[in-house]
Amino acid sequence: MSFLLKIQPVFAAVVLVALVGCANDPAPTEQLKLTEQAVAQATAVGATDEEPDLVTAQTKLTQARVDMADKSYKDARMQAEQAELDARLAEARVLTQKSEAQVAQVNTRLERLRKQLGAGQ
Amino acid sequence: MNAVARSLSLGLLLASAGLAGCAGHQSSEQALQGAVADYQKVKEDTNVLRSAPKDVIRAGELLGRAERLSSYIGSADDVSHYAYLSSRYSAIAREHSKLLLNQEKLARLELERQRLQLALREAKLAGAQQQGKWAEDQVISLSTQQNERGLVMTLGDMLFDTGRAELKSSANRTVLKVVQFLQFNPKRVVRIEGYTDSTGDSEVNLALSKDRAQAVADVLSDLGIEEDRIQVEGYGDQYSVDSNASESGRAQNRRVEIVFSDDKGRLSAPR
Repeated sequence: MSFLLKIQPVFAAVVLVALVGCANDPAPTEQLKLTEQAVAQATAVGATDEEPDLVTAQTKLTQARVDMADKSYKDARMQAEQAELDARLAEARVLTQKSEAQVAQVNTRLERLRKQLGAGQ
Repeated sequence: MNAVARSLSLGLLLASAGLAGCAGHQSSEQALQGAVADYQKVKEDTNVLRSAPKDVIRAGELLGRAERLSSYIGSADDVSHYAYLSSRYSAIAREHSKLLLNQEKLARLELERQRLQLALREAKLAGAQQQGKWAEDQVISLSTQQNERGLVMTLGDMLFDTGRAELKSSANRTVLKVVQFLQFNPKRVVRIEGYTDSTGDSEVNLALSKDRAQAVADVLSDLGIEEDRIQVEGYGDQYSVDSNASESGRAQNRRVEIVFSDDKGRLSAPR
């Protein structure tokens, strides 16, 4: 019995610390907004579901919202932080692809011009 | 008894936590190593450093955080998390760098294109003057008429070799006139429409009419007219202007028409 009495305050302290730990993680409202903006931005530049990173971002954002509703704020923050960068990467990839297409297009035009100039002489 | 049971279950709990921790530790170690490798690559790439320094710095900061956390017990999830974020920043930095390189390349190519356009215009002008047969052009640009479709210029059949889509050099003066007109009227746009006679397969005719219209569009674009001002349509053997029974009628029907918009850029609808 005395053993139990001794262990109980320690146990209570541990539980308390765990609880405080949970309560200390604030709701990542700002991060969620940032993530939503990043996903919107990626979509705005033309990223679609064919861009795997955008799909990942959307999945994680959905999970973050679920975690948020469950008050699992740490999980929500982590999911949202990852989703933000997934979306940013998707956006960057789309922009790179577009610029590659532009380079290819200008190269085609240049080739045509050179051919015409060559034929004219 | 109660105490024994409790300490037993506590032991089990600790053991399973330890096992889980171990598995978590392994995957977090992998994520960390991956992030280190990613960061190393972007850090050594001068192009990436130059074009996306902020992303590289963020990748480094997050990697540092993951490394510091990895020395604590029970931090596997956090290590994986920050390693993941660091890897993402490295990847973003690489993409930004590729984008910048492409943009620089585009700027160089665009300059080259302008230079070549100028050269081509001069060459065509010289060619047109050398020919000295302005009368031929009168025949070539058969007519420019104003009708319900707007201002329509007809490029005759003799500007193309039979069955071929490339514009002949005898079209130089006509084409230059069109380019000049479009440059003086920057709001006007054009639709280039190809037509053939009814000889042969109509699918082939459709393709040829489209190719000829595209060839005219390409030349205009080569001479500096923006592509978004040029529409292209092929109508094959439809909308003939003369009988397909005679050779002269068929020659009339083989044509490319340039339909001009009004000076506000309003173009009649395609047929």
